[in-house]
Amino acid sequence: MKRSARSVATSVVLISVACAGPGDRSASDASAPSVVRASLAQDPASLSLLGKSDLTTEIVAYQITDALVRYDPSLRLVPRVAESWSWSDDRTELRFRLREGVRWHDGAPVTADDVVFTVERARDPAVENRTFAGLFRDLATIDAPDPRTVRARFHSASHGALEAFLVPLVPRHLAGKDADLLTGAYSRHPIGCGPFRFVAHRPGQDLELAANDDYWDGRPAIDRLVFKILPDAATSYQALLSGELDLLTVPAALWEEARSSAEAGRFSALSFSTLSVWPVVWNQGSGSPYFRDQRVRQALVHALDREEFARTIGRGLARPGITTFHPDTVWADPDLSPRPYDRALAARLLDEAGWSDSNGDGVRDRNGIPFRFTLLLPTSSRLLTRQIAEWEQQSWASLGVVAEIRQLEWQAFRELRNSGRFDAASYNLLFTPEPDQFWDLFHSSATAAYNVYGLADPEVDRWLAAGREAVSDDDRRSAYRKLQRRLYELEAVSCTFYFSTPVLHDRRLEGLTPSPIDLWRTTAGPQVWRWAAPRG
Amino acid sequence: MADDRGTAGVALGSAPRVARMLRAIARRLTSGFLTLLLLTVLVFSLVKLAPGTPLAEAADEGLARLPPTTQAELERLYHLDQPLHWQYGLWLTSMLRGDLGTSFHDRRPVTAKIRERLGTTLGLNAAALAISILLAVPLGAFAAWRPGSWPDRSIGLVTYFVHALPVFCGALLLQIAFSVHLGWLPLAGIATDGTASGGTLATALDRIRHMVLPVVCLSYGSLAYLSRFVRATLLENASAESTLAARARGLGPVVAFVRHGFRLAAIPMLTLAGLLLPALVGGSVIVESIFAVPGLGRMFLDAALQRDLPVLLGLTLLAGVSTLVGIVASDVAYSLVDPRLRRG
Repeated sequence: MKRSARSVATSVVLISVACAGPGDRSASDASAPSVVRASLAQDPASLSLLGKSDLTTEIVAYQITDALVRYDPSLRLVPRVAESWSWSDDRTELRFRLREGVRWHDGAPVTADDVVFTVERARDPAVENRTFAGLFRDLATIDAPDPRTVRARFHSASHGALEAFLVPLVPRHLAGKDADLLTGAYSRHPIGCGPFRFVAHRPGQDLELAANDDYWDGRPAIDRLVFKILPDAATSYQALLSGELDLLTVPAALWEEARSSAEAGRFSALSFSTLSVWPVVWNQGSGSPYFRDQRVRQALVHALDREEFARTIGRGLARPGITTFHPDTVWADPDLSPRPYDRALAARLLDEAGWSDSNGDGVRDRNGIPFRFTLLLPTSSRLLTRQIAEWEQQSWASLGVVAEIRQLEWQAFRELRNSGRFDAASYNLLFTPEPDQFWDLFHSSATAAYNVYGLADPEVDRWLAAGREAVSDDDRRSAYRKLQRRLYELEAVSCTFYFSTPVLHDRRLEGLTPSPIDLWRTTAGPQVWRWAAPRG
Repeated sequence: MADDRGTAGVALGSAPRVARMLRAIARRLTSGFLTLLLLTVLVFSLVKLAPGTPLAEAADEGLARLPPTTQAELERLYHLDQPLHWQYGLWLTSMLRGDLGTSFHDRRPVTAKIRERLGTTLGLNAAALAISILLAVPLGAFAAWRPGSWPDRSIGLVTYFVHALPVFCGALLLQIAFSVHLGWLPLAGIATDGTASGGTLATALDRIRHMVLPVVCLSYGSLAYLSRFVRATLLENASAESTLAARARGLGPVVAFVRHGFRLAAIPMLTLAGLLLPALVGGSVIVESIFAVPGLGRMFLDAALQRDLPVLLGLTLLAGVSTLVGIVASDVAYSLVDPRLRRG
């Protein structure tokens, strides 16, 4: 009886939904559950909250569960499930004190033993967690002396270790039952301790979450959060215009149109700087003859009028870059500024490096080798990738340097890049605020990681090591500033632009706080969003 | 007359003919099975030759990476550390036991992943195919009735126009018109979020509303092709001896055209139908991506980008089997409609 009543009620609701056009949404009943609809380009690879670690999986994981620490919108690590932490004097032991009263969605308390279990699972190769398996590499032991204390010991002084405790927490009493965390029962119905409870996942269609009434930091103001799986960027944009989505990261090409369209009045526009750079990585190793001299690398950056590009094609979403140390982080050196546009200086530097047009064919050459190199790019839906490469190509051509653009599917691109068989390569690099990660990009020993372009500079190695070993923040800052100056001088990796992410959202949706990380993964995520009343 | 001879043939030699047909089907299945095996070897080799690995980080993962020990452990888990022939042999023996393996991407069984999406793709493509045929046959016949007349030329012009309209362009125009501006139809997906997957009429209607735009996009391109095919076949047969003979026996032009023209056109149309069958399970990458339909086409694209070999092999096998079934079904249908083939 109850079931049939529910079925009739469901039918009535569904018929209303079926008959209602998208335009009817604005007339929604103020007492109806408040829903926020966003989009994801693909399903999360795993709903186990820990398994795999692509961006989509992490965005979803941080809604369902929480972590000991999280980044706030200004990029500070702040306590969450941990109420405090302390380091030993030699920075090899880290102790967390857990907040009282934090509960899993099934009502069980979150204990130190759950944290130990989470870390063990995150390090398990079978869980395939790229992010945290790497961040925990220096961890020697972890244990739980009592239910509210976690003690982690490291092989050496480790600053990046705190960032590792961003790991999304999973409950031992549920996730521990599965032999394979990626495919077990837990991964089909994850239970976390975050602001939203898992409701349903329809693969390829949507993922539905509901507010956790018992969230330790207060119940979210929105009742439901629905991620629609929309792989096509143009469709997502139309879905926003038709009212099927409430917010969207807008493709750069549509940014101006979006703000000037007839529907623009329904939306608020945000664009915020993200920890993302679009560098040109110059191959300084044996794979290419062009870029071993730093004057050449400097010249090619001086040849780019980046301010002009940022104003015009960049649509205000790009700004000239300096080094991989993003200016929005506390580690950036405020005394460095982007290399200025100076074509005369660029020509002189190339001449000094021995690249001149000796045969009058319009292309510079040296020792009989014409300056004709390949710029490798991945196919990407990200910001302006092709436009930047073509603009660079034109800028360098007028200087007598020929760049041929070769754009490859990501895996093919990655294979060529990692093998060092390229002249120059451009791709999007996403960072976290922790500077220790640059070891893998710049240190001469990191050839199996991301130093695939032959950088081997003792001074760079020295400052990276100094930053890693320093105990106080001041010492770290000092070491990393010296590193930035050296990287700037070497122009080993040219950060042509820092990017902003353009977002349109329903103007009635309030509380969205931009952060250089993103809208989703900081302490100011959907748990603090709210619909302004009345909706309409 | 032809019918009488055919019927007599069935009555006089039915058993040997059935045996012949079964032998022919068995031969076709045997060669088809070998072709399928070769196909899987080819796909396996192509994926292995392509650059990349299923363990590669995604493009948006920044500097995160698997530690070398983890990488080695995962290669062992997925047997990627084994020689290629061993990896293929492992897949083949599992496949012969009915197990298509597990996806490298999410470690779920490939059969479950295919089963999850097969219904959607089948429903979408069957609807599109049915609409194409239902519209193409009368359109083609109408055009062939008076070749060169203004209806023929108009139909030709319109069908060529829609055929030339790229599907991504047509899809966008339809979305803007019917979803964004008019608000009549959902823009994407296969169900309104929050609707339970029950058997209610409303759920069914919701599904149908979501399917309208993808089905229109999938059918308009083949509509042009099919209608021109029907027209050409009918025109070719309008002047055939049997049609002329039917006219000479006093049958009206419409009856002769429909009865004899369509009968003669049946064989080429059956050939086409046999070839269209695999398209039912093949899915459409573009339409499924634009309309966010969780079908097999999108799954194939994602698997190719992720170098997810077990999924690619499973989908290849499905497409191969359906092609084989289509060909065998065409063969059987030929022998049923064509008396000459029936007699071997």
